[in-house]
Amino acid sequence: MQSIKFHFSFIAFFSIALFAGCEATLAPAYDQAIVEKVTESSDLAMRFFAEVDGGTESESFAQREAVYNVLIGAFESLKLQAKARPIPENVALDKINELLQAKGSSAISGEYPSAFAFEKIAETFKKMKQTDRENGIKPLALQAFKGQVEIFLDQAITYESFLKR
Amino acid sequence: MADNVTNIINEIKDIASGILEKDISTVRGFSERQVEAIAKQTVIIQEGIANGDIDEDLREFFLDGLEAMALNFVNTLKGILMVTLEKLWNALVNFLYKAVGVVV
Repeated sequence: MQSIKFHFSFIAFFSIALFAGCEATLAPAYDQAIVEKVTESSDLAMRFFAEVDGGTESESFAQREAVYNVLIGAFESLKLQAKARPIPENVALDKINELLQAKGSSAISGEYPSAFAFEKIAETFKKMKQTDRENGIKPLALQAFKGQVEIFLDQAITYESFLKR
Repeated sequence: MADNVTNIINEIKDIASGILEKDISTVRGFSERQVEAIAKQTVIIQEGIANGDIDEDLREFFLDGLEAMALNFVNTLKGILMVTLEKLWNALVNFLYKAVGVVV
């Protein structure tokens, strides 16, 4: 049974390959500029978290406002750069999308996981800025902001680095 | 004929294994890091809510964040797998075309 399944997958793969008739592009191109900018911005973000370690008081918000603006701008710009890459389009990808949709999965689109992660990081810094301005940030809230940024950064960096093939 | 078929099968297996082994180790490392980080994040949020560091407004924000990071974790894995599939596909198509004497 396992062998029949394997042969079916094998035949399906090569039918699509022959139908496509050439090399396939299923993911966006690697962009060195994005990787360099995300490295630089994540370094700035981590240094900022180190500076405010332990929490903040709203009275001193003005000292940090400029850094928040730089971080929000950097990650929004990264989101635009990541989204700006063309979506790979060819016969092979069309066939894979048809198969994915037939199985009830969403098709591969221009919603790159790194662009989504950059957007969420920018939103996190916006919320952090608002909280800091209004009430200051308490220690565990600060840890949660940091954790959220780190998790999305890991997703974006892993995906963007993986595009180098 | 039989020898040729065996050689082609072995070549295909080698190409596929080479690509899959390398990529799967990257995926495994990423998954382990993410699962651990998301678990830690959940505990931080629980403790923050319990001691009052995280108020009602922030609670909603962080819960939405947890949902978004779990969703994007899966989408990142999907994206990585597409790159692996692309590498696998192109390596195999190249090999098969060369085997029948077609230059891609």
